[in-house]
Amino acid sequence: MDYTTEEVCITLQDVAHRFGHRPVFAPVCTQVQSGQVLAITGPNGSGKSTLLRIIAGLLPATRGTVTITVGGRVQDAFQRRRFIGYVAPDLTLYRELTGAENLLFFARLQGVALSREALAALLATVGLRGRGRDPVRTYSSGMRQRLKYAFALLHRPPVLLLDEPTANLDRDGRAMVEDLIARQRARPDGVVVLATNEPEEVAWGDIVVHLEGAR
Amino acid sequence: MTPQPPPHPAGWLAQAFALLGKDVRAEARTRVAVSAVGVFTFSALLLIGLATLTLKEVRTVNLLRLVDPITVASVEAQMRPAWDPPAKFGLLWVLLCFAAFTGLAHSFVHEEEAGTTMALRLAMLPQAVYLGKLLFNLVLITVVALLVTPVYMMMTGMPAGNPLLFLCVMMSGCGGLASAATIVAALAAKARGTGALYGAMGLPLLVVFLMLLINAANTLYTLHPAPLRVVRDVGGLLSYSVLLIALSSLTFHFVWEE
Repeated sequence: MDYTTEEVCITLQDVAHRFGHRPVFAPVCTQVQSGQVLAITGPNGSGKSTLLRIIAGLLPATRGTVTITVGGRVQDAFQRRRFIGYVAPDLTLYRELTGAENLLFFARLQGVALSREALAALLATVGLRGRGRDPVRTYSSGMRQRLKYAFALLHRPPVLLLDEPTANLDRDGRAMVEDLIARQRARPDGVVVLATNEPEEVAWGDIVVHLEGAR
Repeated sequence: MTPQPPPHPAGWLAQAFALLGKDVRAEARTRVAVSAVGVFTFSALLLIGLATLTLKEVRTVNLLRLVDPITVASVEAQMRPAWDPPAKFGLLWVLLCFAAFTGLAHSFVHEEEAGTTMALRLAMLPQAVYLGKLLFNLVLITVVALLVTPVYMMMTGMPAGNPLLFLCVMMSGCGGLASAATIVAALAAKARGTGALYGAMGLPLLVVFLMLLINAANTLYTLHPAPLRVVRDVGGLLSYSVLLIALSSLTFHFVWEE
C-alpha cells in the first residue's frame, strides 16, 4: 500500500476563552507545522488544558479561531478529530472492559482493522505487553496512562495532543513518551502539541507558548 | 512504524452497533441497569400481587355479607372500573415506565460519571451515540417487558385481547418508552442532575406517552374495533416514537457537544 502523507498545519489566531465572565487566558496567536512540537506552559489554572480542548475541537473558543489544515484543506471541528490523538488526565477509558476490549471497541469506531498481532504490537509499544486481557479497573494509574497512549495511537493520527504527557508514568514510561514524540516529529505529517509544567518536557518544544492566565 | 494517513471512521450505523455491543458487554459485567430495573420491577410486582389479592378478598367478603342483589351489583360496578383490562394495561405500563426510568438513565449517566464521554466524542459521530444508546435502551426495556408482562398477566388476569394488536401496542410502547428515556437521560446527564432532574424532565414526555398508550389500550380491548380507530390509536403511539426519535436525532448534536 502506498501512503500519501500530507503537510499538517495548526494555526491559532487570537484564540481566547472565558468561562462565564471569567477570562481563562489572554489571546494566543501561534502556528505549528509538520515536524514541529508546540509546548504550552503556564501555572495551574492558566488554561493549558482548555486550549488543548479547543484545538481538539472539543470546546469552542469564545474568541478567535483554530484552523487545522491537512494537505491545504481546512478541517472543521468534527473532521479534525480523526486526525487527532488525544491524551489527557480527564480522558477515561472503560474500567469494566479489558485494555484489549477498549482498544478493539475504539478501533471499530475509528474504522481501524486491528488484527491480533497489531493489537499486541500496540500494547507492546506502550509497555502493556501481556496485560491486554486484564480489566482496566485493575490497572495502576501509570498503566491507565499507557493505555491512553494506545488509544491515541490507534488510528495513527498525524496530530498528537498531550496534556501532562508523563503524568503517573515511571522512568520507562517517560522514555516511551519521549520516543513517541521523536517518532511523531520524524513523520512527514506529524505534529505534537503538549501542555506541561515540567521544564524537561517544555524543552521538547520547538515553539513554546506561555499562558499567564487572563486577569 | 510507517507513517500512514488516518483511516476513515466507521459509518454511523456501524458505530451505533459497536456502542450497543460495548454497552451490552459492560452491562453483562456490571449488571447496574439490570439490577436497578430488576429490584424495582420485582418490588412493584409483589405489591401489585398483594393488592390484587387483598382486593379479591374484600370483594368476596363484601359479596358474602350483602344479601341485597342490588347492593351487590352496585359494589361490583364500583370495583370493576379499577380492574378493567385497559386499566390493568395502564398499570402495567406505569410499572414499565418507572422501571425504565430507573434503569435506562444508566446508559448516559454512567458515561458522564465515569468520564468516558470525551473518548466517545473524539471517536464517534453524535448521531451514532444517540442511536447506540437508543438501541441499548430498547433492548433493555423489551427484555423487561418480555419478562414482566406474562407474570403480570397471570397475577392480574389481564387478557391479551387481539394477540397481533397486543403485540403491536407492546412493541410501539417499548419504542416510545426507550426513545423518551434516551433523550431525557442524555439531557439529565449533561445537566449533571441525574436523579430528580431525570424524573422532572421525563414527566411531560411520559404524560403524553401514557395518554396515547391508554387510547391504544381502549382500542385493544374493544370488541371488533373499527380499522380506522386501530390505525389512529396504534399509529398515534407509533408516531410518537418516530417523532421523538427524529427530533432527538436532530437535536442530540447540541446536547452532546455542549
